[in-house]
This record gives sequence, C-alpha cells and structure tokens, in this order.
Amino acid sequence: MKEFNIVLAGVGGQGVLLASQILGVSAVKEGFNVRVSEIHGMAQRGGAVVSHVRIGEKVYSPTVLEGDADVILGFEPLEALRNMKYASQKTLVIISKETIVPTGFSLEPVQYPSFDEMVAKIRIFTEKLVVIDALELARKAGSPITRNIVLLGALAACNVLPIRTETLRETIKELVRPAYLEMNLKAFNLGYETVKK
Amino acid sequence: MVRLEDLLLEGSPGKRVLLLGNEAIARGVLENGIEVVTTYPGTPASEIGDSVSLVAKDAGVYMEYSANEKVAVEVAAGAAASGVRVLVAMKHVGVNVAADALMTLAYVGVRAAYILVTADDPNCYSSQNEQDNRYYALLANLPMLEPSSPQEAKDMVGYAVEISEKLELPCIIRTTTRISHTRGPVTLGKILKPNLKGKFIRDVKRFVMVPANSRIQHRVLLEKMEKAARISEESPYNLIVREGKSRVGIISSSAAYNYVLEAVDKLGLDVSILRLGMTHPLPKNKIIEFMKKHDRIIIVEELEPYLEFQIRALAKDYVPSVQIHGRADHPKLFPKYSEFSTRMVIEALSGVLGKKLPIDFERIDRKYAEASSILLPRPPILCPGCPHRASFYVIKRVTGGKAICTTDIGCYALGIQPPLQIGDMLICMGASVGTASGISKVIEENVVAVIGDSTFFHAALPGLVNAVYNNHNFVLIVLDNLTTAMTGHQPHPGTGMTGTGVPGKRILIEDVAKGCGVEYVKVVNPFDVDEAVQVLREAIQHKGVAVLVFRAPCALLVTAEKRRKAEPIVPAKILSEECTSCMACIRLIGCPALVPSNGKVVINDALCVGCMLCAKVCPYNAIVKADGGEHS
Repeated sequence: MKEFNIVLAGVGGQGVLLASQILGVSAVKEGFNVRVSEIHGMAQRGGAVVSHVRIGEKVYSPTVLEGDADVILGFEPLEALRNMKYASQKTLVIISKETIVPTGFSLEPVQYPSFDEMVAKIRIFTEKLVVIDALELARKAGSPITRNIVLLGALAACNVLPIRTETLRETIKELVRPAYLEMNLKAFNLGYETVKK
Repeated sequence: MVRLEDLLLEGSPGKRVLLLGNEAIARGVLENGIEVVTTYPGTPASEIGDSVSLVAKDAGVYMEYSANEKVAVEVAAGAAASGVRVLVAMKHVGVNVAADALMTLAYVGVRAAYILVTADDPNCYSSQNEQDNRYYALLANLPMLEPSSPQEAKDMVGYAVEISEKLELPCIIRTTTRISHTRGPVTLGKILKPNLKGKFIRDVKRFVMVPANSRIQHRVLLEKMEKAARISEESPYNLIVREGKSRVGIISSSAAYNYVLEAVDKLGLDVSILRLGMTHPLPKNKIIEFMKKHDRIIIVEELEPYLEFQIRALAKDYVPSVQIHGRADHPKLFPKYSEFSTRMVIEALSGVLGKKLPIDFERIDRKYAEASSILLPRPPILCPGCPHRASFYVIKRVTGGKAICTTDIGCYALGIQPPLQIGDMLICMGASVGTASGISKVIEENVVAVIGDSTFFHAALPGLVNAVYNNHNFVLIVLDNLTTAMTGHQPHPGTGMTGTGVPGKRILIEDVAKGCGVEYVKVVNPFDVDEAVQVLREAIQHKGVAVLVFRAPCALLVTAEKRRKAEPIVPAKILSEECTSCMACIRLIGCPALVPSNGKVVINDALCVGCMLCAKVCPYNAIVKADGGEHS
C-alpha cells in the first residue's frame, strides 16, 4: 500500500492535535506504521496550527511531501488554503465553515477574504471538496470544543481512510475524558451523517 | 479512557503503542531503571519531564522541575556520582545555561548512567535561535546518540545507559523538533524498577576539580573518548542501511535521514546509505571504508556542517580520490538554516546528481502563489483572556508607548504584536533584567523590563541583584500567571507545588525582590486596570530598581478549571444601543475574540472567556457579561 497522507490545518485551540492523535492511534490499532507530526509551544497560541498524519506500511518522514496529500482537513478555511501546496487534483479537501479572523489585521484595510473567494482558490488545486458547518454541528452536540470530532466524523463518511470508522469511535472513547464522551460521540455521528447525506 | 500514564506504565512487553518521541524517551526511563529525572521545561523537550512527572510516584522515580537547566544538570550529577541512574532533559538553549556544569562534569564523570537529552529546534518553531547542539558533544568530549524515530528515541535511552556506564561518562541524546514532536508506533520493552540505593564514595582526586586534579582528569576523559570511538565503530546505529550499485553513497543522521530514505525512493536512486545514529565520536573506520567503496559521497544533515567538516577531513587524509558533496559545494541546496523536508532533499539530491526532478514542484509553487494571493498571516497571539494583555495595556497606557521595554522568554514575547507592541529587546532567559540595566544607564527615556514568573526564578536573580547593587534605574514587572504557561503549565518555585504534585515551599516573588534589596515592591492584579496604572506610575517615579508583580492566573488554567468543575464560561456581550462602533476595544487591546464585522464590533463567543478587559477599556460602557452578571 502506498502511504495515506492527511494534513490537518486550523487555528490553535481548535483541537487539531487531538484529532491527529485519534487518527494516529487508530492507524496503529489497524496494524499500520504511522507518523504524526505536531507543533507545540509558542506556535500553538492562537496561531496557524498544522499537523500531518502519514499512514502506511513504510513511513519515515513525519511531514507530507508537497502535492502528496490524500486529504486536507481544514478546521478553518483560510488555514486550509494556507496548506494547499500539499494538494493535487486527487486530494479531497474537507473544510469547516467556521472563520477566525487573524488578530492584528482586524483594522487593516486588508480584509479577511470571503468564504466563496477561498473556495475558488482551493478549486485551483482540486474539485474534490466537502464543506461542513462543523461549529454549528458541534454546538448541536453540546459544545464548540467538539468541532474537531465533527470533522473526523465527516472524514470517516467520505470512505477514503484506510481506517475503519468503528476503530475511530473506539479511539475517541480512549482519548476523550469520560465526562465529555457522549458529547463527542454525538459530534462524530453528526459529522458523519451530515456528509453521508 | 486510556491515559498517557497507563501507556507509560503498561506492563506487557511487545505491545505496540503510539507515542510522541518525548513520551518514548520517558518510557525509556522506566525500561532502564533510571531513578532520577531532572529538567527545566522548554519546547521541544517539555513532554519528557511532563510524562515522567505523571508516572514518577508509581514508577519509583524521583522527578523534579529544577529552577533552571544548570541546576538540573547538577542535581543529576550529584545523584549519578552517588551511583544512581539519571536522565536530564532540556531544550537546546538550556544546554547553554547548563554548559558550565556540563564541561567539567565530563572531567569527573559518573558512577551510574547519566543521560542528557538536548532537543534542538531547527526552524525556531518555539525558540529564540536554531543553534546546533551537536557541537556540545565535540566541545565537552561526550558521546552522543541521535534517534530518527520515536522507537529509536526509546531504544537509545537503553543504549545510552550502556555506553554511559561503560565509559563512566554522561551520554548525550540529541533530538530535534521533528523527533521529539513526532508520534510513531513504539514497541514496548520490559519495565525495570529502579532499586539502586545511592552511596557516595569519596574520591577527591576524581570529584574535586582543583587544577591539579583537573589536569589529570582531562587526560582520563580523553582516554575514555578513545574507548567511545571503538564503541562507535561497532555501534548497531552506525549502519549501512542500503547498498546500491551506483558509485554514489549518502551519509545522513537524525531527522534528515528520514527525508533521505523517502527522497531516494521518489528519485529511484540506486545509492548506498550510511546512517549514523552515534554521531560522537564518529565511526572513522566505518566512514573511511564506506567512502572507499564510492566515487561520490553526499552528506545530508540539518543546520551546521557538523558531519561534513569531520568527514571532509577524513576524506582528505584517507580517501583523497572521493568527491564529497554537501554544504561546502552546494550551500543553496543544503542550507545551514531552518529544517529540511523530503522536497528539499529530493531537490538537493537531484541537483547534485544532475537527475531530473520526479515531481513538478515549480507547477505546485505557481498554483500555490495564485491560490495564496489572498492569504493573511496568522502569527501566534496572546490567548483571549490572557492576563498579559491586561498588563501590556497598562504599560502602554502609562508610558504612552515611549518607554523602552525589554522582554523575555515566554508567552509574553507575543506582546510585540500590534496593537500592544510591548517588547523592544529579547535575547534569552533572564536577559530582560540585564539589558534593562544597560539601556537605562545610557538613555533618557524610562525603561521597563517584563519577565515571566518561571523565567524570574530561572535566570533573573543575578541580574536583579546586580541592578540593585549597581544603582540601576528601571521598573521590572514580573508577569506572574502562576505557571510556566508556554511550555505546558509546569509548576515552578512560585507555585509551591513540585513536579510530582507533592507540596513544596512556595517562594513569593515579592519576597525574593525585597530580599535582593529592592525598595519599591508591589503586587497588583493587572485586570484591576486603574490600580495597576496607579502603581506603575509610582514605580516609574521611584529612583532605582522597582519591582511590580502583576499577578493573575493564566487564562488557559482558568478555563480548564471551570470546565473541570462544569462551571459555565460566560462570554462578554456588546450592548448594541450603547456601542458607537468606535473600535477602541480592538484598537487598544487587540483581543482575538473582538472581531470587526461591517463596521461594527462583534464578540466571537466561541473564543471569548469573559475576562472583561474590553469592558474596562470601552469608553461607552457598552460591553457587559452575556448573562448580565457583574464583572469579576
């Protein structure tokens, strides 16, 4: 099997790292080799956060080669766009509608681009695009903090992962605090069902 | 729920689990009977100590967050001199702080395994520089190992224990961000309970480094390193991992080795690869033999040409016919800065060998340039609710932005972002105090130094004593958020809690300042804006050094605590009938939860944690708690 490459892009605080860890643990459960790259520390504080998950029989580099992503999971559209160099026409891009305007530019004449503009730019790379209102679904599940799990549900529904959906659910049970488990499983299902429809 | 501590304590050898490189090193501690672990937190090394702290009690390990890296190295040195296995972990610049102890510790050596982990940060993801700490092994004359994966990170702890005890020397394990912060599957080994009882056997000639003893011990060290060279020749980590038919060989190590494997594959190269896992001392004979079998050798390493200098010297003396490629002849293909990637190594190898690129990167770049034309930068910023934002607002309001502000290492370095823009000089831990002294001596304007609580204990004390003693004149503001926030909320002497949750003695920053002879010392909550403004005005008027402690807990701790207690996090709300859309809130404090939208301000309630600083700066009292409650 050729390796399967996922780029998760978002803003610090959106739960990018937990989502990538869930993918990584699930891949190990299914007997794969895996590399998950993370960025901690200063870069995490409200800044752009990106994590790469590479699943396969032989994987060495923790980071994805340009043009070689199978999936880009965009927690925020501007951040999805920032990572499009990893995309090619075969790449599936899933983006959440939640926009977070970078601070410090709030009063500048440069405006945060419209959602449609960002989608048009993403289409330069690929037509395989799924848009989901992960924040809204997360609120429905019980809290905005479950938006990362909504997105994992959406990804699972796309039938591209080399990981079974049941394994993802099992891993969520292992990695999420018991008090929040029900909420997160609900979030996963909401993401899953919304895309299935 | 499977917690990290469960994985680290997992008893069944052979089990395969996903671990971060740093967590794998922590597991290595438990599998090798290491009894003492000391550290000062710093990205990308922090999770080593953090992971050990989670399991220290159950595993019978003594773990501490030391006040700084020098102390961490010394505490471990004392334990290892008493025959107990130790591991010390720190980020690359931490070794600078510890270097004084380390250089001479190499002379006296150890009586049980001593592992020093240095985590380097190519590309400065979370650091003030990207120095290459492999040179410390060369400088101190210490053996060094470099893992390329989380599995190796764990395994090399065991190998380092073996080397360290064979040589009676500290052994360095050098990682980089891409090793420390990569998760990968790790096959667990058997846990070895530490059961060594420390015993200090006097040996003045060995352990007391007065000149007469040092001269002898230096020679002892050099003899040990000759033994180390023989270990390196036989090391299973210095290995030809691939034999190709072409006359080209690649030598690589650490993170770069991973990119080499993938690049060679993508380029379809039939080359040999010598992978170096023990990089000090180098396996000279193995390298010479490898060079003899090839016409051309390509050296792929991040940062400094550490391998290249040594290998070029070997080639000149032993294999003059071989052509060496690397940074010296291709500085653009193998830059000395930042980190490598598979793409860079593909481009470098194809450039050196004149081979066509297998991927049209230029096309990707063109498309990306077109797509990214609308991108806005998103630098890291202070979190919503961060008390530093309040502190910086107070400093700016009092000084009108005219004071020169020296700053320090921590989240508060993010204060340089607009609109607060506090921070005019930053070099290293504790330097805000020393640089403020120098600046205040020679300029007319007021000087304000800011430093974090953990950083204060780490490196500010000599600077503060110096400033008081030498009659310097500035205000030192300690931004006390009651934790080491940037690196993951570790405790420090000012919190009164030790690394393993055992209560320790709480040392108050204000008491320390008074003890250092500072005459003007005050503590204030920066969210009490008016009071903080008043106190800072007075402090600036004070002749000499004034110390203010701006104390309010880190916003991430406050929200985590509320979530734990299932208390609601009530955001702020804008009263639309009062708001004049003057934008003062955004202009003055630049909180990420305040978002301009069609000429009005909107509060992003998914980000806002209700600190209410915006309400305090609003000229029209147009911001209130969303539930109508009082401001805290």
